[in-house]
Amino acid sequence: MSIVTELILNADSEARYPAPKEIRIFQDYVRTGEQRIRIASILAENEQRIVQNGSAKFWERCPVTPSNSGNERKTASCQRDQGWYVRLIAYSVLAGSEKPLEEIGTIGIKEMYNSLEIPLRNLVEAMRCLKEEAVSLMSPEDAVEVAPYFDYIIRALS
Amino acid sequence: MQDAITALINSSDVQGRYLDNASVQKLKSYFDSGEMRARTAIAISANATSLVTRAVAQSLMYTDITAPGGNMYTCRRYAACIRDLDYFLRYATYAMLAGDPSILDERILNGLRETYNSLGVPIGATIRAVQAMKDVTTDLVGAEAGKEMGVYFDYIAAGLS
Repeated sequence: MSIVTELILNADSEARYPAPKEIRIFQDYVRTGEQRIRIASILAENEQRIVQNGSAKFWERCPVTPSNSGNERKTASCQRDQGWYVRLIAYSVLAGSEKPLEEIGTIGIKEMYNSLEIPLRNLVEAMRCLKEEAVSLMSPEDAVEVAPYFDYIIRALS
Repeated sequence: MQDAITALINSSDVQGRYLDNASVQKLKSYFDSGEMRARTAIAISANATSLVTRAVAQSLMYTDITAPGGNMYTCRRYAACIRDLDYFLRYATYAMLAGDPSILDERILNGLRETYNSLGVPIGATIRAVQAMKDVTTDLVGAEAGKEMGVYFDYIAAGLS
């Protein structure tokens, strides 16, 4: 769901046209479209780098963790998941809403990683490292737009 | 429902991919048309009642349908007719803002033809009214925005026939 669908469903639940405030939210959203596309393409082009550098930093801070256990399969699947979260964040930046991230990636996140026996606290640290790597590639203006989505995942894990 | 953005996100997510170039171009043109969409929604919401009045005047008012025996005869039926046209206009405006017709299927078209048939509402006259709404809306919002709104009015007409 994007910010556009959200405001339409809101208006529809009251059987009315979008209110002035909602139209203003819509206008602000489309006006920042270029920035959103730019951020999403930085994430897409640098996903590997974000995940590799983020992992190196993560293992320094948190050496005893499944992705650093020497089991290559575990490392690969952890890093694959991290790449997926970077992708979901790119979707959310485009949609102007945390909903894509939530619908695809955070509802049930704790239960899933608990059942996979991945320590949530480590995962939180891994997300912080991904966030640091991602924002380091961006202008301050773009970083402000993307950082809250990493924080959203971290909150969902804690 | 989905919109121009979520439609692209959903089809990319199924493949586990970022948006490809073609999708980014579509998104870009949606963002570029955003100001026009906002202006159009403002104009339509300010004039919704009179748009329906004019559409009815153009298509139904002076035909047999409003005479005794016609399907808009009795105030109750007339009121039901303009209520439905009001819905069509509002949902077409939502769809135009979203850049995607899916909300029309979900909220209007699914089962509408069957409902109208069982109530004896003439489909042909309804479609004429929707076409008239397209014309009077274009008069109000101009050619470019009128063309975009026309996509969704046509979608409603096609879904009814």
